[in-house]
Amino acid sequence: MIRFEGVSRRYGEQAAVDRVTLEVPRGSICVLLGESGSGKSTLMRMVNRLVEPSAGRVLVDGRDVAGADPEELRRGIGYVIQSVGLFPHWRVADNIATVPRLLGWEPARIAARVETLLELVGLEATLFRDRFPHELSGGQAQRVGLARALAADPPLLLMDEPFSALDPGTRRGLQVALREIHAETGKTILFVTHDVEEALALADRLAVLDQGQLVAQGRPAALLEGAAQGPVRRIFGEESLAFHRLATLPARSLARVGDADGLPMLPADATLKQALMLMLSENSARLALPAEAGFGGGTLHWTDLVTAR
Amino acid sequence: MPSQPAALAARLPLTGTAPPPREAMAVATLSVLAVLAPLVLGVLSLAPNRLLSPRAAAMPQTAGVIICLGLFLGFCLGTALLARRAAWLGWAELAAALALCALLAGIGVAAGEVLRDASPAARATPAAGFWMAMLLLALAAGCCAAGRGGTPRNFMVAVVLGFGLLWAAGLLGNLSVAREASARGAEIRAAAIQHLGLSGSALLLALAVSLPLSLLALRHRKLEAALMGVANGFQVVPSIALFGLLMGPLGALVSWAPGLRDWGVGGIGPAPAVLGIAVYLLLPLCSAFLAGLRVVPPALIDAARGQGLTEAGILRRLRIPLGLGVMLGGLRVAAVQAIGLATLAALIGGGGLGTLVFQGIGQLATDLILLGVLPMVALSLLADGGCAALQAALERGP
Ligand SMILES: Nc1ncnc2c1ncn2[C@@H]1O[C@H](COP(=O)(O)OP(=O)(O)OP(=O)(O)O)[C@@H](O)[C@H]1O
Ligand SMILES: [Mg+2]
Repeated sequence: MIRFEGVSRRYGEQAAVDRVTLEVPRGSICVLLGESGSGKSTLMRMVNRLVEPSAGRVLVDGRDVAGADPEELRRGIGYVIQSVGLFPHWRVADNIATVPRLLGWEPARIAARVETLLELVGLEATLFRDRFPHELSGGQAQRVGLARALAADPPLLLMDEPFSALDPGTRRGLQVALREIHAETGKTILFVTHDVEEALALADRLAVLDQGQLVAQGRPAALLEGAAQGPVRRIFGEESLAFHRLATLPARSLARVGDADGLPMLPADATLKQALMLMLSENSARLALPAEAGFGGGTLHWTDLVTAR
Repeated sequence: MPSQPAALAARLPLTGTAPPPREAMAVATLSVLAVLAPLVLGVLSLAPNRLLSPRAAAMPQTAGVIICLGLFLGFCLGTALLARRAAWLGWAELAAALALCALLAGIGVAAGEVLRDASPAARATPAAGFWMAMLLLALAAGCCAAGRGGTPRNFMVAVVLGFGLLWAAGLLGNLSVAREASARGAEIRAAAIQHLGLSGSALLLALAVSLPLSLLALRHRKLEAALMGVANGFQVVPSIALFGLLMGPLGALVSWAPGLRDWGVGGIGPAPAVLGIAVYLLLPLCSAFLAGLRVVPPALIDAARGQGLTEAGILRRLRIPLGLGVMLGGLRVAAVQAIGLATLAALIGGGGLGTLVFQGIGQLATDLILLGVLPMVALSLLADGGCAALQAALERGP
């Protein structure tokens, strides 16, 4: 879906993005992870030409974006930023309708679309449609921001630290909502964050940036397999690396056949990290895993968990 | 229940004797001084004719005059008393306006009485005590308005209405200003229209220059620095000097292309005046436009751009609607400034109300000066009020 080919961006002497080559497969959530100033935003903003590369090229659907009309290109790509950027003098419905209006949709179609989107992002349309942005909480505003980005049904979403200004609870709620929307719509999502937990909660693929360079990429589990070295180790935090790795592994991969009667129950799609947390909170060395399509159910043992590779 | 009386007692002093607002003392002092000023300085003076200087005249003791002065006294007292409650400050402001109108009516009626036995050339004018009382009452109203956190709107509206009513009732016709006004009615109207023309064209000219330049400067830092430098630079040149400086080049221009003279262009006359005034308006207009266009935070611009809005779209849908309040604030300052500066046009033959003012100064004729100044004040207030109303409507709006 997106291909960065040897992309660089220099500001004076300093390279904000340095020869990055990266492929984001269609329908995946790719998370760009890195510390502040590592060039995540710069790399992302080259996709919708808010930043022009100094070298290399960016392809979307096989076409070089440099050849596209910038405004037309941007109307076809959803864009969500940390500060949300809702227009303060427009009602929620008008904010969401920005791109459909620019594309010249019929008013009736726009109204119906706004309704659908508000429900999709978990806001009741009748309650929120006519509010102004200052009448929303931070989390609600970001849900509207997400709805706005999805308005014209673009195949691709760019999200630049959309949840980092929110409190942990709200943030987790929005992460879950985003995964659900992703499962429902199959959008390709490029997501920027500096928060390791958020990256692991969302990523199908992870790309780690350090000082403008791509230092690691791939599936989260593969990335944290074995002893990660150098910048990756530093970014994930030396002391909690093993803990984060558990978040990349599904609990059912270690399930044993056994009697699960009376044991605390894990959700079917839980990770080993969630399993560990449940064991600690329930003071139980064994957990039950429910049966699901293609999986017969079973138990998870503490000893298996600590030796997991 | 034993607690109930206790609670009541605790509540009563609060509602019963709320502390008077901070302005109460100042308003009371000003009102008392407003009563004293006419007693000490006199309210009415009489001149044998238009050119001789006036002498203080005793107020005739007729019923009309006594009623008016009684009302004046009462309303002054009312102002002082009403100002003791924060909730009543609006009414105090109104009382100050009514006191002023009562005094005005008083000297109007008194002028009629005094002139009845005098020669037709004799003139009755308000004396120092009247002006002093007016000033003190206006200050008192200003204090009341400050206590309410606003502009003395009640006062101004009531004074304007009261003045209109007194004028319409013919109570003021015997004052020398009124006689001068009716003698020169056509001249004043022409001067006022000229004045509006001068300040209006200067404002339009300045708008036509500063709007596009501000839009350009938004994108080009160097142009912004140059623009603000020039606009600031002109503010330092005294206006008369600037009008003088413009005479030379414009005179030369006309002698080079005499056809321009038919358009009113010349070294003296309205052209250099309009040009000079416009130059002074560049600073308030440009700085307000630039500030207004920058009201929208960069993150919002980024979000808009990221959704595919064009630069023109961002200007039309974000920068202008969100910055309009600030921009109108600049327009308000510029409009009032233009009306003030247009007075000086008279000095280079540009006409306007300044002509009356400078003529009055030359002849030591206070009435004439007033006839120039009063319409000017009215124009300024109208322009200011109009812009303020527009601004308020926008702030309340969508
Ligand atoms: N317009 C610009 N002009 C000059 N330098 C810039 C510009 N934009 C970005 N940079 C520099 O490029 C580097 C990368 O910036 P970028 O915004 O991509 O970082 P980031 O990874 O998104 O950081 P954060 O997590 O803080 O948002 C930084 O050092 C920044 O100072
Ligand atoms: Mg960033």
